[in-house]
Amino acid sequence: MDFRRFWNLTFYLAKSGFKVRNEGSYLGILWYLLNPLLFFGLLWLIFSNNIGNSIESYPLYLFMGVIMFNFFQSATSESIGIIRDNRELFKSINFPRMAFISGSVLKFFFSHVFEFFIFTIFLVALKGNFANVLFYPLIILFFIPFVFGVSLILGSVSVYILDVEGIWTFASKLIWFATPIFYALNLSSKLSVINWINPLYYFITLARDLVVYNTVPSAEIIVGSALSGALFLAAGVLTFNKLKTRFTEII
Amino acid sequence: MMERIILDNVKKKFKREVSSGSFLYKLFSGNSKGNNKDFLVLNNISLKIKEGELVGIIGNNGSGKSSLLRVIAGIYETEDGEIMRNGNIISLINLGFGLQLNLSMKDNIYLGCALFGLKRKETKKRFNDIVNFSELNGFVNTRLYQFSNGMLQRLAFAIAIHCNPEILLLDEVFDVGDNEFKKKSSDKIHKLIGDKCTVILVSHDLELIEKQCDRVIWLDQGRIKMQGNPKEVIRKYISEY
Repeated sequence: MDFRRFWNLTFYLAKSGFKVRNEGSYLGILWYLLNPLLFFGLLWLIFSNNIGNSIESYPLYLFMGVIMFNFFQSATSESIGIIRDNRELFKSINFPRMAFISGSVLKFFFSHVFEFFIFTIFLVALKGNFANVLFYPLIILFFIPFVFGVSLILGSVSVYILDVEGIWTFASKLIWFATPIFYALNLSSKLSVINWINPLYYFITLARDLVVYNTVPSAEIIVGSALSGALFLAAGVLTFNKLKTRFTEII
Repeated sequence: MMERIILDNVKKKFKREVSSGSFLYKLFSGNSKGNNKDFLVLNNISLKIKEGELVGIIGNNGSGKSSLLRVIAGIYETEDGEIMRNGNIISLINLGFGLQLNLSMKDNIYLGCALFGLKRKETKKRFNDIVNFSELNGFVNTRLYQFSNGMLQRLAFAIAIHCNPEILLLDEVFDVGDNEFKKKSSDKIHKLIGDKCTVILVSHDLELIEKQCDRVIWLDQGRIKMQGNPKEVIRKYISEY
């Protein structure tokens, strides 16, 4: 594969997707700030006086969980149906097919950067250590391959099985509740076992440890994040390459 | 002269799903596998096309013309046969090829060129040539949903021919353009051919094919029924239908 062509196309697809999303909207990119803020505000109102009481720096803990999950859910959900929605293009030009998924993930990463910018303001306002923000690019290095891998699997399988959309709508809600986003897990509880198989748990915990709490994450969390990123990326690339050969015949 | 494209006994099969409905519906109606049947859309196609050749493809609807272009472009995988492609392929198989109607013409030129494999620097260099060729100079910042079909066609064609084609595949691209633009496009195509580009043109416009092409291939039910001199092939084709 010509990686320069792939990256160039990924960038333009992300840029145009980002522009299309904002064209004609009254508030435009302000929605990238408003959406997570409003959702965070709602959760904070509901949980800050009960669940949040026992969690240190709860606003930052909650906001970090919300924006990371938001990036994961937006990118993976958009990948479903993206190939069918662009059937004219897929049937007209032979370009690197995977760029459509990477472009979509990059588009949501642009939004994620906006969300992280608000998080940084929160961090400074709540007297957190600003220097911790510098760790975030490292976390993203593990997190983006994971999101991209899951998106590749969903994007390619959904071309063959239309039900993936319905299944993922439910599954992503399940993952939302199963991941400690607005609550903290007692590691001795039975529920904590679920998190050992939930990759999002590793990434969100890694980000909270490094950026919110300024602590060194445990070895399990670091290894879990690195492995999840690598494994899902490999599985995604393999699945996509295996399935892409018949895309244009099916759509 | 160098061969740009060689197809040797190429076959392309499609699954035709006759029965519609969900899997559950099929399961309860006792037909869980549906009524999928294979059908050959291209059957033992063998051909050679040289550099600098302008080849026309004619045939009735469903004869396999667009599928043949897609196989040559590498958009469809084939079940059988060998394909050799020698050169940068630019295909314009449907009018808009994925132009984004909510984006401006400028954004679409950058995106379109990236889809055809051009890097940003190269696109920047050719940007004015593309705008000038399309004759849409006053619309650079206009969003495409305000464009007519003719304007979209001009833009798509202008982008395609400025992306270094060595093999240019065109499917019914002149159906909506005015005569002046057709003439301009035809001159440009001949200039590309002079530069050793190979052009394959699919069209129902037999007059255009006869006037422009060096050779015509007549496809019928996925097979090459006849190929050769445009006049002779088209005369035979008309006499049969």
